[in-house]
Amino acid sequence: MATATEMGTNERFLTEAAFARIFEVLESQGFTVVGPTIDQEAIVYDRIRSVDDLPRGWTDEQAPGQYRLQRRDDEALFGYVVGPHSWKRFLFPPQATVSKADKTETGWQFQAVEPEPAKFAFLGVRACELAAIRVQDRVFMPGPYVDPIYQQRRDNALLIAVNCTQAARTCFCTSMETGPKCTSGYDLALTEIANGFIIEAATAEGAEILSALESDDASIQQRQAGQTARQQAVDQIERRMDTTDIRDLFLSNLEHPRWDDVASRCLSCTNCTMVCPTCFCSSVEEVSDLTGDHVERQRQWDSCFNVDFSYMNGGNVRDNTRSRYRQWLTHKLASWIDQFGSSGCVGCGRCITWCPVGIDLTEEVAAIRGDAT
Amino acid sequence: MSDGYASRMPTPEAAARPWQTHTVAIRDVRREVEGVSTYDLAFLDDTVREAYRFAPGQFNMLYLPGAGEIAISVSDDPRNTEAYGHTIRVAGNVTRTLAGLGVGETLGLRGPFGTSWPLSECIGRDVVIVCGGIGLAPLRPAICTLLQDRQQFGRLNLLYGARSSDTLLFEREYDDWSRQGMDVQTTVDRSSPGWLGNVGVVTLLLDQLPSFDPHNTVLMCCGPEVMMKFTVMAALNSGLSEQQIWVSMERNMQCAVGLCGHCQLGPTFICKDGPVFRYDKIAPFIDVEGL
Amino acid sequence: MEADQLRFILQELRFSAVLPVEGLGRLAEESTVRRVAAGEVVFRDGSTNNNLYLIRSGRLALEMNVPGRGAVRILTLGAGEMVGWSALLGQGKMTAGAIAIEDSDVVVASADRLRELCEADRDFGFLLMRQMADALSKRLVATRLQLLDLFADAPSLIPTQQAD
Repeated sequence: MATATEMGTNERFLTEAAFARIFEVLESQGFTVVGPTIDQEAIVYDRIRSVDDLPRGWTDEQAPGQYRLQRRDDEALFGYVVGPHSWKRFLFPPQATVSKADKTETGWQFQAVEPEPAKFAFLGVRACELAAIRVQDRVFMPGPYVDPIYQQRRDNALLIAVNCTQAARTCFCTSMETGPKCTSGYDLALTEIANGFIIEAATAEGAEILSALESDDASIQQRQAGQTARQQAVDQIERRMDTTDIRDLFLSNLEHPRWDDVASRCLSCTNCTMVCPTCFCSSVEEVSDLTGDHVERQRQWDSCFNVDFSYMNGGNVRDNTRSRYRQWLTHKLASWIDQFGSSGCVGCGRCITWCPVGIDLTEEVAAIRGDAT
Repeated sequence: MSDGYASRMPTPEAAARPWQTHTVAIRDVRREVEGVSTYDLAFLDDTVREAYRFAPGQFNMLYLPGAGEIAISVSDDPRNTEAYGHTIRVAGNVTRTLAGLGVGETLGLRGPFGTSWPLSECIGRDVVIVCGGIGLAPLRPAICTLLQDRQQFGRLNLLYGARSSDTLLFEREYDDWSRQGMDVQTTVDRSSPGWLGNVGVVTLLLDQLPSFDPHNTVLMCCGPEVMMKFTVMAALNSGLSEQQIWVSMERNMQCAVGLCGHCQLGPTFICKDGPVFRYDKIAPFIDVEGL
Repeated sequence: MEADQLRFILQELRFSAVLPVEGLGRLAEESTVRRVAAGEVVFRDGSTNNNLYLIRSGRLALEMNVPGRGAVRILTLGAGEMVGWSALLGQGKMTAGAIAIEDSDVVVASADRLRELCEADRDFGFLLMRQMADALSKRLVATRLQLLDLFADAPSLIPTQQAD
């Protein structure tokens, strides 16, 4: 039985019709609403304008190397888990111009590009994704150097979390202690139940949005329904990753034979790094006009699986898949802790789902640990 | 005095705008050896020039629009503030483009970035500098500083190895350095007719070095990774500890501020945790192939 | 030169400093000090030689004869270093020539007598051979590093200039 605190004291109930008004409330406050919508047979995050853009009645079925949309037997709006996109697309855009150079009579003039003002409301942020945003906050913002684009977007973003009410077979947030319940880092948190939502505001900004919506005190039954729905996600999580001493485990197993094994399966395709909500590597490309007098520097997502990622003086430091996979996983699970004080993995399972050959990092961890069966 | 040897941290302005590049003009180009030239770069903007200071061992990102950006250590005496020497070997697209530029032409500069040589730690101690090839360039500012404040330090030894006698960098300065109180020893991998100096790798010079107190010495090393690895082995053999040895590392540095991920070596970002490391900080990672 | 004086000299040289006093004494009895002037050949590449040399001061160069290229200088050695290992370990046929590039003092010991000493006193022999092995292993590593040609133009691993 849940205690009063666990149930929350300021939980309100929104009917679906009341919830539907959140779009106009957010837009009236200048927010660009980004949320789940169906595109190319996947639930992705994109600009959405109304409740009709949400993936009503759809769910996602996931397994290593597999993702499929399925019809639900209800009309749930958030009845899926996570898709190939994450919110990093919007906080750390896949492509951005960082500086410009113009040739003038007195020589080259340079200008760092000021980030374009963006004010996003993220609708449907999962607990693991809140954790991922916290992870990237520690990458891009604490300094001494900060990423101006990330900071501008992050400072202005409104996070509307939606608790998971189911889990995918690839989920392991409980092992990473990031979910499935949203506990902090959001402005508003919703739990979808029959005919509506339990909603709770955690910040003044969230409360302001909530106050503009027509809500009621949540009844005991409604709260319990929310609790039951959230518990269902907990109960469905079957995948585990043992994180005990994982930093030392990895840094003392840099020559483990398992790296050769996984290298024989890995295609070095970069999918895992593209779908990972915390991967932050980027490179900068020169984009010039025809005269060559106006040049922009464009930052793009990069991946440590790309062959020339470690290029140096005519050679690549990591010139094989073994060293690249080892870099990715060791960074994600071990050296990330040295660098940013937490794991780089939030247990969302995207890298497992979207790996074309179904490499499952939880299996790789178990193998390195030596308790693989 | 000692805080005069501190690393230069970014100003709040620079920290908030890591991509801000400043215009510099080429004031002078000096051919050092075949394929290597020193470019003296001067800021055009007075405010930027006044504000810019670097510490020996730190690097700048030099930007040639259309060609790209490259990390280059400053090779100049830190007292020179009018223009900053960057000693560059033609090795790729950016350096080739730079080699085509002449005095008066402009390019971009961001910096300084990274950590610096531990000059404060050298006070009252013997200093051994071991470098190879163009690895002497990032140490030149440290050498200038050590000689400028000569009385602060113990015995100064420079052991420098190059491929051949015609690729010895900054050769015209060795006599000055010796006169100012640094013992300069050079060696080449490949002898040529008329060369009366040492032949053999630079680590042998360290084995033969008589005049330093291993318990009271700071060793600074810069060169190809393999050379640094064997220099460290020789230094440990002569009684130094890993905490007395400093090396300058290199990886693919792109953003220079720890945000792009390219230059990682184990848990370190070479660009912001380095390039100068106390050896014990990277010892577990330096020998791992492909890390 | 008196054996005592020579023992004192040997104690100062890195190669022989670790030998016990008694061993140093025996080595001193079998040794002489010789002055070689700059440019003087100590032994020739391919010649037969029965001496092991320890450099007391100055510098020697090891050279190999390459038809068409003449004497190619491979390595220079300074105070405390050993030269002429082929005399002790091989058949006395030298694998390189040694020439003084500065006026140098060398301690000269008969390889035959040293071998006899080693056979008669295995403890002394072990220490002497350990010093030989240590010196040769360092020279082997140094030669490997030369072989890598680390400072060659490309591809290289030279710091301060990163890929572009």
